[in-house]
Amino acid sequence: MANITKKVSWSSRHDEPGATGEGTPLLNGSEQPRYSRQLSGGGIFQIGRLSTVDLDEEVASDQDHLRSRPKEIPHNEKLLSLKFESLDYDNSENQLFLEEERRMSYIGFRCLEISRWVVCGLIGFLTGLIACFIDIVVEQLAGMKYQVVKQNIEKFTEVGGLSISLILWAVLNSAFVMVGSIIVACFEEGPMIHSGAVVAAGVSQGRSTSLKRDFKIFEYFRRDTEKRDFVSAGAAAGVSAAFGAPVGGVLFSLEEGASFWNQMLTWRIFFASMISTFTLNFFLSIYNDKPGDLSSPGLINFGRFESDSVEYNLYEIPLFIAMGAIGGLLGALFNVLNYWLTIFRIRYIHRPCLQVMEAMLVAAVTATVSFAMIYFSNDCQPLGPDHSEEYPLQLFCADGEYNSMATAFFNTPERSVRSLFHNQPGTYNPLTLGMFTLTYFFLACWTYGLAVSAGVFIPSLLIGAAWGRLFGILLASITSSGSIWADPGKYALIGAAAQLGGIVRMTLSLTVIMVEATGNVTYGLPIMLVLMTAKIVGDYFVEGLYDIHIKLQSVPFLHWEPPATSHWLTAREVMSSPVTCFNRIEKVGTIVDVLSYTSTNHNGFPVVMHHAASDEPAKLCGLILRSQLIVLLKHKVFVELARSRLTQRKLQLKDFRDAYPRFPPIQSIHVSQDERECMMDLTEFMNPTPYTVPQETSLPRVFKLFRALGLRHLVVVDDANRVVGLVTRKDLARYHLGKHGLEELQLAQT
Amino acid sequence: MSRYGMFLVALLVKLGAPADSSLALNSLSAFPEDLEISDYCVDLLRVFGQRYVAYVNCLVSSARPVKVCHNCFSSYGSIVEIYANISSDQVGPGNVSCRDSLLRSDRLMLVYLLQSNLKGIWSESDCQNCVNKGLHSLTNDTLYFMTALNQSLSCFQKYQQANQSELCNECKNTYKSLNDLYSGMEKNNTLCIDIEDAMNVTRRLWSKNFNCSFPREETVPVIAVSSFMLFLPIIFYLSSFLHSEQKKRKLIHPKRAKSNTSLMNIQDKFS
Repeated sequence: MANITKKVSWSSRHDEPGATGEGTPLLNGSEQPRYSRQLSGGGIFQIGRLSTVDLDEEVASDQDHLRSRPKEIPHNEKLLSLKFESLDYDNSENQLFLEEERRMSYIGFRCLEISRWVVCGLIGFLTGLIACFIDIVVEQLAGMKYQVVKQNIEKFTEVGGLSISLILWAVLNSAFVMVGSIIVACFEEGPMIHSGAVVAAGVSQGRSTSLKRDFKIFEYFRRDTEKRDFVSAGAAAGVSAAFGAPVGGVLFSLEEGASFWNQMLTWRIFFASMISTFTLNFFLSIYNDKPGDLSSPGLINFGRFESDSVEYNLYEIPLFIAMGAIGGLLGALFNVLNYWLTIFRIRYIHRPCLQVMEAMLVAAVTATVSFAMIYFSNDCQPLGPDHSEEYPLQLFCADGEYNSMATAFFNTPERSVRSLFHNQPGTYNPLTLGMFTLTYFFLACWTYGLAVSAGVFIPSLLIGAAWGRLFGILLASITSSGSIWADPGKYALIGAAAQLGGIVRMTLSLTVIMVEATGNVTYGLPIMLVLMTAKIVGDYFVEGLYDIHIKLQSVPFLHWEPPATSHWLTAREVMSSPVTCFNRIEKVGTIVDVLSYTSTNHNGFPVVMHHAASDEPAKLCGLILRSQLIVLLKHKVFVELARSRLTQRKLQLKDFRDAYPRFPPIQSIHVSQDERECMMDLTEFMNPTPYTVPQETSLPRVFKLFRALGLRHLVVVDDANRVVGLVTRKDLARYHLGKHGLEELQLAQT
Repeated sequence: MSRYGMFLVALLVKLGAPADSSLALNSLSAFPEDLEISDYCVDLLRVFGQRYVAYVNCLVSSARPVKVCHNCFSSYGSIVEIYANISSDQVGPGNVSCRDSLLRSDRLMLVYLLQSNLKGIWSESDCQNCVNKGLHSLTNDTLYFMTALNQSLSCFQKYQQANQSELCNECKNTYKSLNDLYSGMEKNNTLCIDIEDAMNVTRRLWSKNFNCSFPREETVPVIAVSSFMLFLPIIFYLSSFLHSEQKKRKLIHPKRAKSNTSLMNIQDKFS
């Protein structure tokens, strides 16, 4: 690395490579801050000084030349995106906050606690309602579609022209998917867990920004700290409504959702989950004309596993473990295929219209494949007297018999899973089941990752149940007749658990969810063993599906622990430097310019004592956030205007919370030329005691502090408390343990 | 009989009394009156036994093809009647109620068990759908179905020697109307086992023996359309691969401090 004193970089313009040597000052009065490489022990760049371009001492090495042009590479999984911003869980304890706490009475604090409970209950209730609504709508729509297709096929079976049925089915599929896909590709939606979290985030703020209505309640909760707790409750309520598994929902939130946990929070989240499943149960029983029946606790109902048929023997446990290994292998295969497909999609299919078209094509092909399989299937089963199939399709079977491949495809996946678990042995033909598993596996792999709000839970349960049942049928045929221990329904359940574990690699929460969904604790041990085996086998090859997608979306995700062999890295190597700082009493024009600088979207600025004219770093006295600065600018809290504002009320914390969470961008704040010369006093509003670390702190220590406290900015100081650098999430998330040791990810513009 | 009576019988058996039941029963008659069953009730029991045997004989002879509702409904009616007599609360001649003495005196409750069995068979076969309420005659629907069935069967017989396709053509209408009638009855829930079985047999005849169900004739158009549909995504992906510009990511190099040791790549540190 060459020593370069000062270099102008115009990286604010994306298309222009970093041009050097342009030293023209900009518009009068405004100064663009320029950034320099720091010499060892050199100074931070000062704001407010015009600096000349000095390239005499430039010794550009080849490496540097490359660095001067922003490199462009195709998307891969080893990137971090700049567009993700951390949430800030550190409380800004400025004087306004202290005042508010002084003013709040004891009753006030109690009321706050009660309102937290009320919000959690509300979250559970709304999530349950949404789940109920979704269930009803899906049932009606799917029923409509199958009815239409079935009638059409029956009509054309007699008179000929079945290819028209095929086209009709494909078109219906595409039409439904098109609607869903447009919503996702052009707006943002998601399945149940996401819905729960979204509901929670909205309800807890007591307002709706999209509908522009402010209900003026829950104003205290308009902070990241409170919001994250409610979002955890929302995610748990979503899982609970989806599976009828309240405890599983709480554990899911603990394992996958939240990074902060305490006991009161557990209790509140459990409350939200219970309310959610109870609401769903209640409203669904009303819809089914059996009020008070309370028999459908979740959207996905696995059916009751009766106690006498749930027995498994000790010698079956090795078989279960073998199925777990198979599930791990198949899951790894699924993940690898989906990984390559997703990379292709990100690189080549990035426009919304292309995404919608792709989703429609997948829907059409799914319909085609289903139709072709039904058409060529010779498997006919007599219809049972209990009329368990809703849309039996006769097609080319004898009268009184129905095409069993059609029943596999004409059901919603939840129904199919349930019938795979509970149907009598002998209901399914092995060949039919095998073909179905194969096609569904590849279709599911293709479908996941499309711009459609679709999950992977139910498809993988279905795939697993199908091959599990096949395994059970095989076992029953191998062993001598009369042994009814190989009940295929039981193996279907184990297969479903194995496949799901192999794909998503969740352990604790998934075990509890499945145990609760089947309603029988007896299966707890086999399911746990199977999930552990699937995870171990699958992890040997490739990561879980969700982790792969997080990496592909370049999310700067911090894991639970810092990377293992990273103690030699210090804060000095991790931090960003030099840091943009403000003085305690800073000129408005400077602030506006720094905030308007588009290339670096800083959100936290250390506040320093008035520093001398040299490039020396100055002593830290606080930290101020972009959001706070914008509110101050909006309310024009200037020193010169303070005297004239004596009659106006002082700024309170409420004014800061009103603008949360979407603070207006700096471009919408208009500052006149005169106002730019005013000064702003940041003392009252800054966080006077931000967390700091010395320069020599190792990476794991910095990581633990950062993650445990949920910080957004961590100031790095030297031994005289002078600001040397700033650590943010993107700086920490770069390091992770790869296959060949510690790796550093690169930042990219996405 | 009370427990006392049972104990006595057991005692007698243990004491080596002959296994002859009539002897035991006769010796019991020497005992006080409340252990005795009245003659009226014994009569009722005998009639019940006879009618039971008659009904079961009828059932077994109508087992395959199933015609239990048609053939045996009158026997069932008579047995229901006699059981009603036995189990009524009314006191018969001699001021005795046979219900307690015949039905509820021991653990086995044999008469009750036998009657429940018969009732179960009757309800399993759904015979109440085919027989009128008073158990005297068949319903109109059933009779109508039977005539339609006879029509179809006679049609089959007529063309049995002829070409198979001719049979399929000629008898298609009668068979179709029979099928529709059956579906309608299924919806109304007026089916009994006789009708179901008859329909089943007819269907098997039609589809398997005479091979008259729809053949698969449209393989080629279906394959053509399917292949076209399967081709579309391949074309889509190829075109987006060739024509879309690959989305490239621009790398950003943030400002970093020079570390105290010279700035090396992480990889170099290990080499």
